[in-house]
Amino acid sequence: MAKYPDKVNLYDDRGKLFDTNVPIEALSPLKNTAIQKIISYVKQCVAVNLEGVEKALATGEVGGKWCIIRGRSLKLDLVKNAGSVADSLKKCLQVDPGDDTEVKVLKGGKHLLVKVPAKRLNAGVEYTTGVTAVAAALCCTIIENFKVNIWDADLVHAAVWGRYPQTMEMLGGNVSSLLAVPQQNEGMGYALRNIPCAHIALIAKKNAMNAAALSSILEQTAMFEMGDAIGSFERFHLLGLAYQGLNADNIVYDLVKENAKTGTLGDVVISTVKRALSDGVIKPLKKTPSGYTLYTTSDLNKWNAYAAAGLLAGTMITCGAARSMQHAPSVFIYFNDLIERETGLPGVDFGRVAGTGVEMSFFSHSIYGGGNPAVFHGNHIVTRHSKGFTIPCVAAAVALDAGTTIYTPEKISGVVGEVLSEVPELRESLRYVNEAAVSIKGGI
Amino acid sequence: MVDYKPQYYPGGSKIAANRRKYIDPKYTLRKLRTISDDDLVRLMGHRVPGEAYKSVHPPLEELGEPACPIRELVEPTPGAKAGDRIRYIQFTDSVYFAPLTPYMRAWMGHMRYRGVDIGVLSGRVPLEARERDLEKVAKDLVETEIFDPARVGIRGATVHGHALRLDENGLMFDALRRFQYDKNKGEVVYVKDQVGVPLDRPIYVGKPIPEEELRRITSQFRVDGEPFRNDAELIQFVQRIHMLRTEAGFDPNKVKDI
Repeated sequence: MAKYPDKVNLYDDRGKLFDTNVPIEALSPLKNTAIQKIISYVKQCVAVNLEGVEKALATGEVGGKWCIIRGRSLKLDLVKNAGSVADSLKKCLQVDPGDDTEVKVLKGGKHLLVKVPAKRLNAGVEYTTGVTAVAAALCCTIIENFKVNIWDADLVHAAVWGRYPQTMEMLGGNVSSLLAVPQQNEGMGYALRNIPCAHIALIAKKNAMNAAALSSILEQTAMFEMGDAIGSFERFHLLGLAYQGLNADNIVYDLVKENAKTGTLGDVVISTVKRALSDGVIKPLKKTPSGYTLYTTSDLNKWNAYAAAGLLAGTMITCGAARSMQHAPSVFIYFNDLIERETGLPGVDFGRVAGTGVEMSFFSHSIYGGGNPAVFHGNHIVTRHSKGFTIPCVAAAVALDAGTTIYTPEKISGVVGEVLSEVPELRESLRYVNEAAVSIKGGI
Repeated sequence: MVDYKPQYYPGGSKIAANRRKYIDPKYTLRKLRTISDDDLVRLMGHRVPGEAYKSVHPPLEELGEPACPIRELVEPTPGAKAGDRIRYIQFTDSVYFAPLTPYMRAWMGHMRYRGVDIGVLSGRVPLEARERDLEKVAKDLVETEIFDPARVGIRGATVHGHALRLDENGLMFDALRRFQYDKNKGEVVYVKDQVGVPLDRPIYVGKPIPEEELRRITSQFRVDGEPFRNDAELIQFVQRIHMLRTEAGFDPNKVKDI
């Protein structure tokens, strides 16, 4: 029996109907098998920069930029022998023959995409098993395959692990995952929020709908882990995920389409209010003496979800028209200001997105330093305050940028985004989550 | 879709009505002066008049965009299409009955213009956009009634002055002395561009708007003008938003039909 009465129609990233009357709980991270798979992949999938290891060994530049150990060098043809390295690495990581371990050679051997078997993660409590297992297995593989002696083995370790354990993270290492080390999470349950938007945009191959979907999945799943999406607030987050992240009822796509050619951010605000009115989500409360109509709602969670969908559409119109990511924080503040003044109802996440926009404006416009929107994430000190509704818009904005920043998403993401874009469930998350929702909807 | 007429801004005062008027994109801002395209370019100082637009990336057509349904739908602005750099114009609005408040610039700008990035600070409001798009928007912002030559400053740097007393000619303080009052012509003249680099020839931006007229057209609440406290409807509106945000933060399910 469904906990909540809400049912939505599912659409793809191009506004095509996928299925109707799907309970929102079929999109819950607690039930949707594709979301659970995505979360598992985030833990299991690790990127190896084999070319980076080869270069580090050859130059002695290990443990971060300009950190060169003179006189230490090892010429190993890792890229040329990527196939055999991958085979040995797989054997080393496997728990049982034929288990879910995978090692894929990419870009002619320059990169490896490694999937650590779930059994290894299940045998521990920390998600770091992914990177630690791969880094250690890669060291063993290189030492064995290339017959590295005891005097050079330390260099292999430094080329793979970077400066760790002198540093908290693998500084200058060549094995990386989407997740940062736990010490860099700013609070409990923040792991899935500590993923810069640069990674997300590249994983989605700069498809703005899929970037927003993946980001929303990660953010809203984190809400369950953080203790936010429970009790009085579970439905609030489920509706947010459905309408903002997963284009439920095609609202995001419709709003973008309606304003695609000439629309301003203000036009998207008006379109959002019209849609909420026409769907019966809001209704007039009373007329004030000046003739202004105050609106009200009997379902504030749904109004929030509609406003959140409008916010994403507004970002897509503004950042899409300018093909620039820097406009995002301005959208966060003024979409909310304008929709509040248009209706008399609270903005997205009840003011938290507007507040986040104020801080993000300062830190993304060289006022107090910071960086461009591609470096921001839900664990960032100035963008963590909204509970999952801001970062999907930032990810979409980054995806829509045509190259206006000095530090591009590609430069910020390094190999991780590119390598993980090989995982279909991460790259086209909207499709897979929709499919899974349809397959389980009967049981809800 | 329902028949819906946008309302833009609540409030029963004259100031609120002015705010509504400026935010409403259907209202055509009254044009008060003409600044030539070249002079506007010189005032902003990003390029020399007549100079080609510099670009930050190749034109979109050459670049080849990634397969994205949103990029396919959303028409890029002319500046984005060409790969223009993102540049800015920045204004300082005096607290003494200037036509706009800083926030009004953002509300108005996002309603009227596409692809703009507006930031609001206490003493300055930058508007950033692709360069050729910016020049179009800047024209509106400088030539119409929302620009008073004496109490609005085009200031890229050293913006200080919005809350200082006006000088003997009614001009807002400017530490870089970018603008002066030409007593003979009775007009304000810019002798430096927005960041304070001297101009090769001065740019006249017109006569200051008279005090009475400013008080009529301003969107600023002031105790010595129309005080915010007198607009009970607007105060109640602000309090309502505050109440709803707070109650919703406690339990969104309990906020119903209020």
